[in-house]
Amino acid sequence: MSTELFFVQLINGLQYGLLLFLIASGLTLVFGVMGILNLAHGSMYMVGAYLVWYFVAVTGSFTVSAILSAVIALGLGILIERVLIQRLYNRNHLDQVLLTIGMIFVFNSLQSILWGNDPYGVAVPEALSGSVPFTDNSSYPVYRIFAALICIAIAAALYFMVSKTRLGMLIRAGESNREMVEALGVNIKSLYTIVFAIGVMLAAISGIIAAPMRSIVPGMGESVLITCFVVVVIGGMGSIKGAFVGALLVGVISTFAAVLMPTMSNMVIYLFMILVLLVKPQGLFAK
Amino acid sequence: MANDIILETESLSKHWGGIKALNDISLQFHDRQLHGVVGPNGAGKSTLLNMLCGTLQPTSGCIFHKGDQIEGMKPWKFVRRGIGRSFQKTNIYADVTCLENCAVAAQRRFAGSFNLFASRHANKLVREAAEKALHQVGLADRIHTIAAEISYGEQRQLELAMVLATDPCILLLDEPMAGMGHEESQRIIELLGQLKQTYSIVLVEHDMDAIFELSDQLTVLDNGTHLITGTVDEVRNDPRVKEAYLGKEDEEEEAA
Amino acid sequence: MIFEKRTERIVLAIFFVIALCIPLFLEDNSFFVGKVTTILILAVFVMSLDFLVGRVGLVTLGHALFYGLGGYLFVILTPEYEAVNFWVYAIYVMGISALVALVVGVVVLRTSGIYFIMITLAISQMVYYFFFDSLEFGGSDGLFIFMKPDTSIFGLSFLDLDNPSHFYYLSLLAVLITLVAIKIILRSRFGRIVEASRLNPERTEALGYNIFAFRLISYIIGSTLAAYAGLLFALQYGYVNPQFMTWEMSGTALVMSILGGMGTIYGAILGTITYEGLLYIFEHLSDDWMLFMGGSIILMVLLLRKGLAGYLEKLLEK
Repeated sequence: MSTELFFVQLINGLQYGLLLFLIASGLTLVFGVMGILNLAHGSMYMVGAYLVWYFVAVTGSFTVSAILSAVIALGLGILIERVLIQRLYNRNHLDQVLLTIGMIFVFNSLQSILWGNDPYGVAVPEALSGSVPFTDNSSYPVYRIFAALICIAIAAALYFMVSKTRLGMLIRAGESNREMVEALGVNIKSLYTIVFAIGVMLAAISGIIAAPMRSIVPGMGESVLITCFVVVVIGGMGSIKGAFVGALLVGVISTFAAVLMPTMSNMVIYLFMILVLLVKPQGLFAK
Repeated sequence: MANDIILETESLSKHWGGIKALNDISLQFHDRQLHGVVGPNGAGKSTLLNMLCGTLQPTSGCIFHKGDQIEGMKPWKFVRRGIGRSFQKTNIYADVTCLENCAVAAQRRFAGSFNLFASRHANKLVREAAEKALHQVGLADRIHTIAAEISYGEQRQLELAMVLATDPCILLLDEPMAGMGHEESQRIIELLGQLKQTYSIVLVEHDMDAIFELSDQLTVLDNGTHLITGTVDEVRNDPRVKEAYLGKEDEEEEAA
Repeated sequence: MIFEKRTERIVLAIFFVIALCIPLFLEDNSFFVGKVTTILILAVFVMSLDFLVGRVGLVTLGHALFYGLGGYLFVILTPEYEAVNFWVYAIYVMGISALVALVVGVVVLRTSGIYFIMITLAISQMVYYFFFDSLEFGGSDGLFIFMKPDTSIFGLSFLDLDNPSHFYYLSLLAVLITLVAIKIILRSRFGRIVEASRLNPERTEALGYNIFAFRLISYIIGSTLAAYAGLLFALQYGYVNPQFMTWEMSGTALVMSILGGMGTIYGAILGTITYEGLLYIFEHLSDDWMLFMGGSIILMVLLLRKGLAGYLEKLLEK
């Protein structure tokens, strides 16, 4: 592999990893704070991608569509938490798994009813459609750089929110002690609703950002979900820092695997995960 | 005397981050003696017990059982050496009968637990041992009752019965009388008095009267350190113990 | 008596009477007989999962790994154009599956709770992609079985696997054997410690049991039964492909076992029949059957907490 190809792949891997982080952060946040394993998290990613495709087709503006989609996802998150998830807090993991599997069925079905099963694509917004010259004979698409920057910005915002704000303080307290948060006079129900809605929105935003780079197809949610599982298991369930490191590792490893050993590329991240768990059964940044 | 040391710790310590839950504890537990462990809350009594039965790994130091170094082994290996423990917080199988609770405890002694075919009810020895343990603690009339349905005090008795059913040589008891009524406590004190004829017992207990009545040896822990070990009278008359207990009470009174 | 509950005995009696009769009265309707055969095979798979999840306490989302493995191992082991003996190769397949379960079990049982769910899922995905991307094993198309094996024992042949009714009874026999085997194991001394480890692992370890060993053996048993079900499924349809081991397959089986009543074993049979029945109805009612199926699953989790078996027991037990 030439140095040039190496760097292109490295950047591809990091960029993919950042996107994975954005999806996985919602999953790990919801699990860390609420103890809920949301298998339908991938469906939210799918919802984001389909929504932005739909609104771009209607409005023509990617920015407007992205904002609309994110807001709708936030509302959807609140709705789901209030109607379904709230009933699961005192149940075991198994019930959570089942209920969220049921949600996957429903979302996949709604997608098929509303938008059919044809693959779609979203055009890259014009302002971001060019390429940056990388070396003499290769270049890198502006949109991918933009996507990576957005992911970094959201990661930073998330870090700021969890470590510096009052909401973040409550989140950290809620992780360790439910009663304590309640003793502080905070309505834990509202806190959970907010956290779940943020989780859903993070997944949807990932779908929105990914839409111009990937094709929008049925089942896109499930494949990304499993990859996210690998990310959070490697990083340690509930740890945002772990999700960040795990996502970058998975992004880079799977990108290089696709180039170096195409017939085994899908397997490699799972192998990596098993190796990590053999050394640290609770993931790299377990609490 | 020196030969009948059954369990021994050497500079045993447990640190949680910077907090020294237990520091440099060297103790000897003798056969057929009841060794009481007392101390104010947070003195490290439960930490000590949890290390003696293998559920907590010591940060440093050693544990010897009949001369073998055993720290770092899995908890179930401790049990197989005859080190049985009861829990401070009731820890039973709530969904099954009292008999079944004790049968789980007794089965390992009499019958292969990897037998996939023989009915669990078929072995008479297991059943008899389980029933005997229930009789010992005074739960004879609760044999077929679901454990969740008996009173809290009775669950404490069941907790003890399960340890007895494993037929240990050392009993590590973590506040066995907590939450029991007076009558039940008296029964357990009487039982422990009998048991120490045949077993070696390490007893952590808040009930001072019981401890003073039962203990052959008494250890006082304070703030993770070993204050003194001796007979009940030696400990009672030790000025440091008075300070640890009475001194603190004075302070509390002043503060209040 | 290994069937302790009245409800259990009633349900199983009704089931086996009806199941025994189906091919007698519907011999000409080979589509229906075939469909029920598939349900019986699935019931074996779901019972093995119910044992692991409901009775051993191992919530696995990767059980389909062994279902697919059973099919693949059979095709890989048998020579392409030669009819092998079914029983001999079934034992080979189950033996190798047990070895695989031993290795996988040692890895996954290092974790617990939510990590166990995830690592079982990930390992089955890994094996899924292994077969999906492989050139030797037919990739996404999978492998085909060209010769049905013969089923003679000591030269006596009484089963013809090409005859749908015969295959049906072979599958019903598998249901019976699996059911009885699991019930015997649960009642055994081993079962006592397995139950104790699920109810209170900390206490069980404090009573001197190495719960890892009990869980590992249970995991091997459950996985081997799943492999046998997968082998039957592959034989019925004459092929095996990576779809056998998708996580959707594992998830669906979980839904079936919960629907029937987690941990009741006989409930797994009820759950499989009901799920497949509902699916059949929804598929015929509407193209959007997934919506109804998903809705039913959500309602079931929220309302029918002890499954069909729990509901029936409420009606029938005094």
